[in-house]
Amino acid sequence: MILDILSWIAIAIGVFFVLVGGIGLIRMPDLFSRMHPAGILDSTGAGFLLLGFLLQADDWLVAVKLVLIFVFLLFTSPVATHALAHAALLDGLKPWTKERKKDSES
Amino acid sequence: MDKRAQEGLRVIELYLNIILLVFVAATGIAAVWLRNLLASAMVLGIYSLLMAALWVVLDAVDVAFTEAAVGAGVTTVLMLLAIALTGRHEKRRRARPWLPLATSLGTAGLLIYATLGMPIFGDANAPAQLHVAPYYLLQGEAETGVPNIVTSVLAAYRGFDTLGEVTVIFTAGMGVLVLLTGATRRRRNTAAPTEEDSA
Amino acid sequence: MSDFLVLRVIAKLLIPFILLFGFYVQMHGDYGPGGGFQAGVIIAAAFILYAIVFDVNTARRMAPMAVLVSLACLGVLLYAGVGVANLLYGGRFLEYGAFAHDPAHGNHIGILIIEIGVGIAVAAVMMIIFFSFARRR
Repeated sequence: MILDILSWIAIAIGVFFVLVGGIGLIRMPDLFSRMHPAGILDSTGAGFLLLGFLLQADDWLVAVKLVLIFVFLLFTSPVATHALAHAALLDGLKPWTKERKKDSES
Repeated sequence: MDKRAQEGLRVIELYLNIILLVFVAATGIAAVWLRNLLASAMVLGIYSLLMAALWVVLDAVDVAFTEAAVGAGVTTVLMLLAIALTGRHEKRRRARPWLPLATSLGTAGLLIYATLGMPIFGDANAPAQLHVAPYYLLQGEAETGVPNIVTSVLAAYRGFDTLGEVTVIFTAGMGVLVLLTGATRRRRNTAAPTEEDSA
Repeated sequence: MSDFLVLRVIAKLLIPFILLFGFYVQMHGDYGPGGGFQAGVIIAAAFILYAIVFDVNTARRMAPMAVLVSLACLGVLLYAGVGVANLLYGGRFLEYGAFAHDPAHGNHIGILIIEIGVGIAVAAVMMIIFFSFARRR
């Protein structure tokens, strides 16, 4: 019973972070600031969801596989956001600043 | 699992199916609508991911595995390579597509009319559920020695089809090789004499 | 200290695991989800990742086109060869039961061999297509 409640709480927190990441992805002004919500989605969102599933696992093999999935996610998703931002920077994309917003509005 | 848990599971599956199918339709329409081919390739990757999720909901894990590996992995890379070779934007179409539209709508209408004659989706009394599926499920492991029914059907019971599939993949690879290597060699042969002339 | 240090380190860390997972999926096609097609695509993905992160020419030296074409042909030949071997053992074409005294054992052996053939052919063809596209830059 305790494990059930704990896993519910973990999954709820994970869903909250995924929602925050999704809203942030839409509302952020340019590519570089959009990388932050994407990183939140992948690390904390997926991490808490996997923790919630881990507490529900009945077989130790399933638990080991979930931990491995989390480890691989931890390795690959920051590299993905880094590669995207690096590629955009190499292409010549300039970060969004308040002054450029005023220029585009006036 | 007791009655109420089964009811709850079915409701969750229904909502999951509805959400996934809506997104699949949206990504499908978006992939055709977008003029920027790079964005279209990315949207097709998302489409493959959603299809893999749908297969998992339908309990077809092997197919989901293949769809995720091929669609959301290798195919996206190959399409990006093709876009890098050709161009990023779709050319504006000149003629009005009335005849192709009528043909595809007519064929789709005929196919939908044909599915009206099939048994209801998931009907327990359909011939496939009464004769074919129980035979594979009951006799599969005993006859082939392999617990995974999908592999035994794919490799043993329907081995000819899989041989055809491997031959098709092989032919596709050879076709790409012949098309792209031949063009490079022709370009090199026509370019070489002019360099000798100018030297 | 190159420009792409993070990508290179992570790629070097991950590619052995991807290859290992590909072999695991190939060999466990009997007992879980998997089989030849998935394994071939995963192994090809490992090589494609190497070619993307590092130099394409280095990757091409590691997997020359002649070797890839031979491997693709070998995969298809392995599959069809199992069928012909069944004829030699006294059964019909692609009737694996003729391999051993017991049809279940014969089927198991036949399925293992043809799955390996399918995996080799699919991996080689995916790499052929990738390297053919990547050559024309």
